[in-house]
Amino acid sequence: MSTRKRRSIFDIIDEYFESLDEWTERFRGATIEKPSWNQKTCTIEPLRDILVTPEEVIVTADLPYAEESTVKVRPLGEETLEITAKMRRKVRFADFGITHQKGEFQKLHCQTRIPVLVDMERMELRLKRGILEIHLPRKHGYRIPVE
Amino acid sequence: MSEEVKIIEKKEIPLGATMLYGFPDVGLVGVIAASHMISELSLTEVAYLDSKLLPPLIVLHEGLPHSPIRIFGDHDVLLAVSETAVPADAIQPIMRTLVDWGRSKNAKMMISMSGIPVENRQDIDELKVFGAASNPDVLKMIQDKGIEILKEGYMVGPQAIIMHYCAKMGVPAITLLAQCFYNYPDPEAAAAMLKELAGITGIKVDVSTLLEKGEEIRLRARDVMKRTQQELTKMKKTQEYDIPLYVS
Repeated sequence: MSTRKRRSIFDIIDEYFESLDEWTERFRGATIEKPSWNQKTCTIEPLRDILVTPEEVIVTADLPYAEESTVKVRPLGEETLEITAKMRRKVRFADFGITHQKGEFQKLHCQTRIPVLVDMERMELRLKRGILEIHLPRKHGYRIPVE
Repeated sequence: MSEEVKIIEKKEIPLGATMLYGFPDVGLVGVIAASHMISELSLTEVAYLDSKLLPPLIVLHEGLPHSPIRIFGDHDVLLAVSETAVPADAIQPIMRTLVDWGRSKNAKMMISMSGIPVENRQDIDELKVFGAASNPDVLKMIQDKGIEILKEGYMVGPQAIIMHYCAKMGVPAITLLAQCFYNYPDPEAAAAMLKELAGITGIKVDVSTLLEKGEEIRLRARDVMKRTQQELTKMKKTQEYDIPLYVS
């Protein structure tokens, strides 16, 4: 017979606050506004969208000027995808008539959280009209944390 | 004119022009088309909108402040365009004021330029442009010009208010909706719409540079598209996908 370690009320409260912090971080990431470009990394954040169907999750991203051979989609764990692509030309603030900011961008970069369980290994990609389409078959079930 | 929304005229306004509207909506079709028209037809700013209902923002061009909603024009055309997403709550009073102002200038026709999202947009080479009109005569006119009619369904956004108000006030009005992406700026859809607009109004605009600059426009329009998405959610834009309950 297995023995279960009894958790103290303090452990449970700590756990509760940890999970609350995690949710606050997620919420903050989703709502606090930030520029759609990053001068340090010379990257532009593309527009993206997620569609969840009963069988799959379809992530799309608008990648203007993306060089097709450089488009990369990388899973970061089970819940997040990272999309990167080199642009065919450098884009400067000055190209948009902006002179009070300096910087040039050569890469598109974003991370997207997938809201349901998916099979990252069976990911399929398609790039058409500059729109990247990522198909991720869904895994059905629940994620049960093991103590 | 509404107390909350005012239109300030900067120049003498031509009477009897066609009044066009390009407001942020799906695919930013209307705004992209309007912006291209302004540059191709060398339209100048003739009036601007002033309202406390708009966010506290101005647009700077060459260091000088401008209202985000302006009216450009020449002898034949008046074109109302917004450079920022219009708050969902402000759409009703702003559109009604613009229509009233257009009526006071004897505008012969009001035309809203916008988009209608399609799921498989990436796979469509020839984009269709659908239309709706404020009265049966105008509807027949656009049908005769080859525009496919949007027979049943919901319309949400600035064009819905313009159409309904024009129908109520007896002003001839058309809404042109080009198939487009929902969440991504769509210069090709704007080009398709301008081609059909030429067939209806005779206002010809060369769209070759619009298509050539497609990628640049998509990159440039990301931020306005993102803010427009937030307003589209607030105004429940996805109702356009709903199947209407038939009430005869």
